[in-house]
Amino acid sequence: MSTITIDPITRIEGHARVTIQLDEQGEVQGARFHVTQVRGFEKLCEGRPFTEMPALMARICGICPTSHLLASSKACDDIMAVRIPETAEKLRRIMNLAQIIQSHALSFFYLSSPDFLLGMDADPEERNIMGVVRKYPQMARDGIKLRQFGQRVLETLGGKRVHPGWIVPGGVSHPLQAEQRDQILAEIPEAIRITRGALQWFKGQIESFRAEVRSFANFPSLFLAMANDSNEFSAYNGWLRFIDANLNIVADHITGTDYLNYIGESCNDDSYLKSTYFKPLGLADGIYRVGPLARLNMCQSAGTMQADEELAEFRELERHSVLSSFYYHYARLIEILFSIERMETLLHEAEILGKNVRAHASPNNFEGVGILEAPRGTLIHHYRIDQNGLIESANMIIATGHNNLAINHGVFQVARQFVKSQKLEQGMLNRVEAVVRAFDPCLSCSTHAAGMMPLDIQLIAADGTMIDRMRR
Amino acid sequence: MPRALLIGYGNTLRGDDALGPMAVERLRALMPQAEFISCHQLGPELAERLAAFDCAIFIDAACDGEPGTVQAMRLSPTGGETSSITHHVHPGALLELAHTLYGSAPRALLVTGVGASFENHEGLSEKGREALDEICRLAPELLAELSL
Repeated sequence: MSTITIDPITRIEGHARVTIQLDEQGEVQGARFHVTQVRGFEKLCEGRPFTEMPALMARICGICPTSHLLASSKACDDIMAVRIPETAEKLRRIMNLAQIIQSHALSFFYLSSPDFLLGMDADPEERNIMGVVRKYPQMARDGIKLRQFGQRVLETLGGKRVHPGWIVPGGVSHPLQAEQRDQILAEIPEAIRITRGALQWFKGQIESFRAEVRSFANFPSLFLAMANDSNEFSAYNGWLRFIDANLNIVADHITGTDYLNYIGESCNDDSYLKSTYFKPLGLADGIYRVGPLARLNMCQSAGTMQADEELAEFRELERHSVLSSFYYHYARLIEILFSIERMETLLHEAEILGKNVRAHASPNNFEGVGILEAPRGTLIHHYRIDQNGLIESANMIIATGHNNLAINHGVFQVARQFVKSQKLEQGMLNRVEAVVRAFDPCLSCSTHAAGMMPLDIQLIAADGTMIDRMRR
Repeated sequence: MPRALLIGYGNTLRGDDALGPMAVERLRALMPQAEFISCHQLGPELAERLAAFDCAIFIDAACDGEPGTVQAMRLSPTGGETSSITHHVHPGALLELAHTLYGSAPRALLVTGVGASFENHEGLSEKGREALDEICRLAPELLAELSL
C-alpha cells in the first residue's frame, strides 16, 4: 500500500494534514483528515471563575472569538439562571450576525474564491488571493468591503474587531447609541449590493464545477442545526434538531440538558480533532453535517425577503435536501444576505437603543450550557462549577468536530474521483484540499492548533520508496 | 503638506513585540501632523485607508539582529508572502493591495526595532526600550525624508 500526504492543507483556518492510501494497483483505498496540534482550552479553564469564561474562551480563536464569547456568555446566563433583557438579546443577535457576515466573507472571498476565479488546476503560485487581486480587482474590493462591514459592526458594538469584550454574562456591558446604529445602517445598502452581486456571479459559475458538485462530500447524511417554532432560520435562540437527507425530523427539541443523549464524541488515534456522531445510530452510521448547508436544509424559510427568494432557488437544486458540500459556498452567500437583512430589521426596532442591557445574579445552578449557530455550525459550551463558582469541567463541541466524519468521507470521495495515477498533480491535490475548504474548518477553534507548516505531499510506493514529492 | 500615516503593529502581550504599538502611542504627541494606526497585525482591510496617504511608515519588532538596534527599509508595492492574508499581510503586500485595488500606494518605509524578549508578558526589555527610544528619535526625520 502507498500513502500520499498533504501537509498542511492550505487556505483553511488552522493546520491539518491529509493522507491518501493507495493499494497495489495505485487505486485510492482510503483517505484521512488529520488535525495535528492541540490547544486544550477545556482543560486549562478548570479552576477559573465562571465569570472569566467569556473573555477566556474568546481567545480560542482570532477569526471566531465572537461566537465563543456568545456561547460562553449563554452558558454563564444558564449558570446564573437569568433571562437577559430583551435589548441585550437583540444586540447579541446583531453581534452573531456580524460574525457570520465577516467569517463567511473571509471564507468565500479570501480562501475559496481563488479556486472559483482562477480554476482548480491553476498554478498555486497564482491561485491565491493576490492572484484574485491582480486579475479580478473588483471581486477583491467587494470581498474586502464586505468583510470590513462585518468587522466594523463587531468593532462598533464590541469596541474592537478581534476579541471584543462587550458581551458579558447577563447581557452586554453597555447599550447601543443612536449614532452607532445609524452608522451601521448607512453601510447596509452597499453590503447587500455586494452580496447579491456575488450570489449572481456564483450561480453563473456552478455549471463549470459539475465534477466538484458531484464529488465534494456529496452523500446522504443527517443534518444538525438550531430550530424554532416558526421553522425560520435561527442562529441564536431555539433548540437543536436532527433531520435526515429526506428532510424528515429524526430528533427534535434537544436542549442543553439532554444534548449528550444525542451527540456522542469519539477520539481518533491519528488526529486531535474528535469526531462527533448522532448517538442513537452509533459512530458507524451517525454521521451528520452542520453549518450553512445544514441550516438551509433545516429551515423552511429564512424570514427575510431577499434571502427567502434566494433560498427558494437554492432548494430547486435537489428534490429533498441539498447534499453536495460544494454548495456550502452557495449557502454561505445566502446566509450573508440573510444576516444583513435581519441586522437591518433589528436595528430599526425601537427597543434596540434601550438602556437596560444587563441582568445581574450570582450562580444559581452548578451547570450551564450555551448553544448557538456559529458561522461554521452549531457551537456548544457546557460548564460545571463548584460552590465557589470555579470551573470544575468544561465541554466544548465545535462545528469542525461535528463535521469531522463528513470531512473525512469527503476527502475519500474526492481522492477516489481525482487521484488517478502515481504522479501527483496540483489540480488533483488542490481538489482534495478544496473539499476540506468547502466546510471552512476552523482548527484553532476545534482543537486549538497553532503554528504553520510547509506543504509536503509524498507519494510512497507499497515498498516504502518515494515515487513523487511536492512541496510548497 | 503630504499626508502621512504611521502604523505600529505587534502583540502587546508578547514583550518586545509591543514595540510598534508603543512607538505609535509615543509618537502621537510628537507628530501632530500625522495620522496613526495601532494594531495587532496588518490586515487587507487597511489597504483602502492606506491608499489615501502620500507617505507611510510601518513600525514593527524584529527578532533577527543585534537587540536594541533599529533598521529602516524602503518598501515597494510588490507583495511578499501572499498565499494567505487572513491573519497577517506583509507591508509590501498591503501596499500592492492599495495600489492595485485603490489606485495609489504611499511612499513607505518599514522601520524595525530588534527586541530581546518575546515571551508572554507585558512591557519591554531594556534592549526593547533602547530600540523604542531610537525609533521615536528617528521617525520624524525619516518621515521628513520620505515626504521630500
